[in-house]
Amino acid sequence: MTLAFLLQTGASVAAIVLMVAFAAWANIARPTPPLDRAAIMDLLAFEFPGAPIDGVWISADRRGAIVRSTDQALLVYLAGDGYVTRSTPWSEVVKAAPKDGRLTLRLPDVGAPRASFAVESQAAWPPALKAAA
Amino acid sequence: MTFDPVTLATPFFILAVIAEILLARFAKTRTNYEARDTAASLMMGLGSTVAGVLIGGVIAATTIWAWKHRIFTIPMTAVWAWLAIFFLEDMTYYWFHRLSHERRFWWAAHMNHHSSQHYNLSTALRQTWTGGINGSWLLWMPLAFLGFPPVMIAIEKGISLVYQFWIHTEAIRRLPAPIEAVFNTPSHHRVHHARNPRYLDRNYAGILIIWDRMFGTFEPERDEEPPRYGIVKNLGDFNIVRIAFHEWIGIGRDLASARSVREVWGYLFGPPGWSPDGSRGTSADLKAAWRARTGS
Repeated sequence: MTLAFLLQTGASVAAIVLMVAFAAWANIARPTPPLDRAAIMDLLAFEFPGAPIDGVWISADRRGAIVRSTDQALLVYLAGDGYVTRSTPWSEVVKAAPKDGRLTLRLPDVGAPRASFAVESQAAWPPALKAAA
Repeated sequence: MTFDPVTLATPFFILAVIAEILLARFAKTRTNYEARDTAASLMMGLGSTVAGVLIGGVIAATTIWAWKHRIFTIPMTAVWAWLAIFFLEDMTYYWFHRLSHERRFWWAAHMNHHSSQHYNLSTALRQTWTGGINGSWLLWMPLAFLGFPPVMIAIEKGISLVYQFWIHTEAIRRLPAPIEAVFNTPSHHRVHHARNPRYLDRNYAGILIIWDRMFGTFEPERDEEPPRYGIVKNLGDFNIVRIAFHEWIGIGRDLASARSVREVWGYLFGPPGWSPDGSRGTSADLKAAWRARTGS
């Protein structure tokens, strides 16, 4: 490693900090209003087109949802200001137990190894799903 | 030190990112930045620079070796030589880029560039850490064998990279038709970064969009179908190690479970999304399903 390379790398790190600080200050992330049924259906239509929707559960903070589709659970959750979706067997949702107000599902996917949802502290699990209208 | 377009352009990259943020902040353009996404993109860019230093010696030595075994001697001072390398390098880039999307071994290195759900100037800097180890740089060796000096090849690659920076923006909608017809533009490249089935595996161009038009991979941006950015299965967080390596780890897991040579081949060199039972869905599968649903 030459001194020039180290200087260039140091300057790059400083520039990154500056640009990220600008991005945070500007507050120009995509708006992510609390999820409602219509928004979830819109997301599912793109992410899981044609999947039958048997019932919908929306997380307590309305930043995620679990949707039953026959024997599968379709997961929708926020990462930053964008939604991530995955599917997992419904049995995994039933088996999972909320802890400290969150339900965390482990997924066999290196790109998204867990999905976490806020749960009402007194809520029973698995939840009673609302039928998809 | 030779002329390096990327190093020279770096201050411009920084100023342009800040300018785009300020324009969006003051509602002069519809662009979104999310701080963690921006940090991930920029850290990927920095890591790519470090990785480039580590592998750069091998690439340079191989290119020089190829040039020493050249067929012709092409002078760096000739205008025709620069014109020729402009077209040849850009066509090489097209095929490199197409390979990087259509075969998983190369997609594993390239996909990180597409892993952001945003499309802004910081996304341009979300570069690979592992592009050097999958050998895709060998695609440029024919230029050295032909007789283009290694420095000339490096400069032309740098020019292409710098060109491709500014097209990563939503701030520019459409350019005049003659430009859209010939050059890769923000509009064409938005299509390339989109995950809508219609737009998957389209617009591989570097500087000139003519290659996509010639080789059947061109798709225009449609106002009625705005691009949704990212990869088919978006990542669950902003961990840069995950961004850089998750597809490689996925390949490793698949190879560990492979039961035949066919499966090994498919997992390594099949299209992204290939699986023995077809359950995962390749771009072609997604497009076919979309066509069947919509009749497009």
